[in-house]
Amino acid sequence: MTRSAILHALATLLVAAAVAAQEPDGGFRVEVDQADLARLGAPEGRQLAGDELAERTQAVAALMRCPSCQGLSVADSHTVASAAMRAKIERLLALGYSDEQVLAYFEASFGEFIRLAPRPVGFNLVVWIAPVAALAIGFGLVVWRVRSSARTRRASADLERYRERVRAEVER
Amino acid sequence: MNRKVLWVGGLVVVPLVVFLALSFGHDPRLIESPLVGDPAPAFDLHSLDGEAVSLPALAGRPVVLNFWATWCQPCIVEHPVLVESARRYEGRVHFVGVIYQDDGELIRRFVEQRGSWGPSLVDPGSEVAIRYGVYGAPETFFIDRQGVVRRKVTGPMGPSMLDAYLAELL
Repeated sequence: MTRSAILHALATLLVAAAVAAQEPDGGFRVEVDQADLARLGAPEGRQLAGDELAERTQAVAALMRCPSCQGLSVADSHTVASAAMRAKIERLLALGYSDEQVLAYFEASFGEFIRLAPRPVGFNLVVWIAPVAALAIGFGLVVWRVRSSARTRRASADLERYRERVRAEVER
Repeated sequence: MNRKVLWVGGLVVVPLVVFLALSFGHDPRLIESPLVGDPAPAFDLHSLDGEAVSLPALAGRPVVLNFWATWCQPCIVEHPVLVESARRYEGRVHFVGVIYQDDGELIRRFVEQRGSWGPSLVDPGSEVAIRYGVYGAPETFFIDRQGVVRRKVTGPMGPSMLDAYLAELL
């Protein structure tokens, strides 16, 4: 058995012990069983509690889409589904799983759609780049339009001066 | 100058129109489950009658795992289809329901009135619904004899769809 395998096994045992010691939360029986442990791997964060746990739970829930709402995050939704997910998020964070591990856990079941902000990779880059590109193009268009209208105004002024000269010559 | 405006406008508008045309073509909620092709998440639940039902115990026959509720109109539409299919596939396929955010007593009364197609399992804390990535009801997972998820259907199924998907597993 390699050293990393031993460390992983130890971490899993510690988490399993912590799981066994936990009480139900918010009316939900939140389980983290062997299947979850296998899927999650060893915790990469540190175990949270108290206000810090509540804050992180809210922050991670804010990154996730409520599965049964329109455009609401799990943090903002009052549905039963979101409450159950918040309880699960809280439990996983309390066990020491990192934000990204928690998000990946839900993504493995729900797909990437569960993330309110898609990861900036592959085709998803369009979502991140397009607004900036659109802003840059818009700004460029405005600059180009302002410059060209300034050129037009200068040309008009030159023409007007020329007309004045011609008028003066004719009237002389 | 008009030609320039046309070019720049085209460069902005055409990709946008193509992107929107492609995106409006499908419902983003009808996403393929990442579980398809993977071992189905195990569960060990109890039915309303207190019967213990676990996924490993169902191995050997295909499983139709349906998340449903009495408040869900499409589930009510789908119910007779499942009742009839469960009768036709009796002994060959396990039909199992998971109660999705509903009251057990309402489910019990509904089943008494309209017939049962399989055990309705109580899912405390929506644990199993979360593990299966359920977005709403009804959602149905087709699990093969080896316990691998082969399909996920969002919304109510008709008899022909159910037959076609079960034919793949039998």
